[in-house]
Amino acid sequence: MISGKLFERIESLRLENVTKKYGENFAVRNLNLEIKGGELLILIGKSGSGKTTVLRMMNRLIEPDSGSISINGIDIRKFDPIRLRRNTGYVIQNIGLLPHLRVSGNIGLIPKLEGWKEEKIQERIQDLLNFVSLPPQVFTDRYPHELSGGQQQRVGLARAMVMSPPLFLMDEPFGALDSLLRAQLQDEFYRIKKELGRTIVFVTHDINEAFRLGDRIAIIDNSELVQVGTPQELIFSPSSNLVAEIVDSKRKYRHIDALKVKDLAQPLDKRYILDSGLSAASVLDHMSAEGLEIALVFDSPENSGRVGLTDVMKAVSSGKSLDEALKPLPLFSPETPLLEALLRLKTGGGSIGLVLENDKPGGILFSDRILQNLV
Amino acid sequence: MKGDKLTAWSFNEIFAEIQRVWTSQLLSQRTLEHLYMFAIALFFSFLAGVLIGVLTYRNPRFADPIFNSLNIVETIPDIALLVLLLPVFGIGKTPTIVASILYSILPIARNTYTGLSNVPGEHIEIAEALGLTRREILFKIRFPLSLPLIAGGIRIAVVFTMGVVTLGGLIAAGGLGAALQNGIQLYDMGTILVTGIWIGILAVLLDGAAGLIEHILQVRYGK
Repeated sequence: MISGKLFERIESLRLENVTKKYGENFAVRNLNLEIKGGELLILIGKSGSGKTTVLRMMNRLIEPDSGSISINGIDIRKFDPIRLRRNTGYVIQNIGLLPHLRVSGNIGLIPKLEGWKEEKIQERIQDLLNFVSLPPQVFTDRYPHELSGGQQQRVGLARAMVMSPPLFLMDEPFGALDSLLRAQLQDEFYRIKKELGRTIVFVTHDINEAFRLGDRIAIIDNSELVQVGTPQELIFSPSSNLVAEIVDSKRKYRHIDALKVKDLAQPLDKRYILDSGLSAASVLDHMSAEGLEIALVFDSPENSGRVGLTDVMKAVSSGKSLDEALKPLPLFSPETPLLEALLRLKTGGGSIGLVLENDKPGGILFSDRILQNLV
Repeated sequence: MKGDKLTAWSFNEIFAEIQRVWTSQLLSQRTLEHLYMFAIALFFSFLAGVLIGVLTYRNPRFADPIFNSLNIVETIPDIALLVLLLPVFGIGKTPTIVASILYSILPIARNTYTGLSNVPGEHIEIAEALGLTRREILFKIRFPLSLPLIAGGIRIAVVFTMGVVTLGGLIAAGGLGAALQNGIQLYDMGTILVTGIWIGILAVLLDGAAGLIEHILQVRYGK
């Protein structure tokens, strides 16, 4: 049994002159990077740029050829790799739930190996499922193949959190999800991140995701670190053309008043649209059956709103009607000037708007997507 | 009526014939003997097969020689194998069980080895990243994920074992093979048919049960 915490909190995670070669090719070349405790650092780059190799060196899944990686000043080669990994939460793109274990077995795997008492494991599983908005009584005993993609992702997150690790390593955790679900999970993840206050290293190739979630962003290209900084620093003082291209900073010159809602609206999946007047319980059934995390209610322009799975579950458990759980959903015509739409989204406090074509839902507008296209 | 030739029989006559054969040949007792040998043989084939499968997985350089030897055993005709075992084990239940085991080890061992070696890399990767040791990965990940394939090997072993145990009737092992042997010696068509069909039904049922387990395992793991 390998137990005990290596560290309660990450003060710093430092990579010094880290190099890894496969044959004659550099996977990572002379990389220097310091991650501060409590921050979310994004590693972004094209596929094959070496970003995943960097991540995998942080819990010794890959050992560097030269250079050193240290946590709180201690070289991680001094830690037993098994202990280090059990003190690190790890989430990957295809989630990697083990198909022969139920949800409870997947989340409870390491606690069981660590010799926790069965009661304590069960209690922890219940707490975590609630935390990631999956009702335990429904999901504890399911097998991974009985879950939707978003639900699997949540279980994967719960599994990574089970040992309360001070450090999370995430490799494109939302990569395989559709855009609306991805936006919803990113919102939730942002909330979780604040609640946890943990240090997170997050690999992605999606610059929108990087800007949305990252405190700082490290751009990796061709096995080398190109620039690291806050989103603002990267946009306003890119160190090279490559960085400017990745963060697309030329777009700040684009004239916002020339754009209309239809230019930036995203296509809409009809499954997300619900009729109003449904009971909260039937909406919960529908959303669970379809694996939806968020739904938009639309009957007429006067009667519309948006609702998340968590809100519906709260409404069901507190006996409220669906209407009480609805949040305002701004509506736009495709011809609305973008600036006006943005202003209304901002004053409404939401990040999602519905685009109507001939008084029928036709598309979705994400505020962050607009901003991304305009900075 | 002694059934020395086939004629058109009524249902009652067939039933009476079955009853005659069943009591005269002590088929209840023979069935128990048969299943007893079957169970022992399958149990030890399972133990030895899985053990060899795990050992060859952990030491792959032994895989080829071991599986080649088992293959040679597999090519010996079953009657010849029983005869070859006579000098060592004599006649009766022991050589029958030993022959069954020798035949059944290969499918179980090979499927165990293949299953353990071919667990999808992504599952192993995530297990390593979560902090499982090599041993834990073998027992908590590789082995359970190989169960559908191991069950497939056991299913083949069920069929082999059933055949060899029946053949054991030739070397005084008892079991349903003995009843069949009696029928052949006496040229008693009723005994031959009733016992033969009964052995067939048992084989189909056991194979079906093994197939069902295999299927349940596959469905559970979402394959």
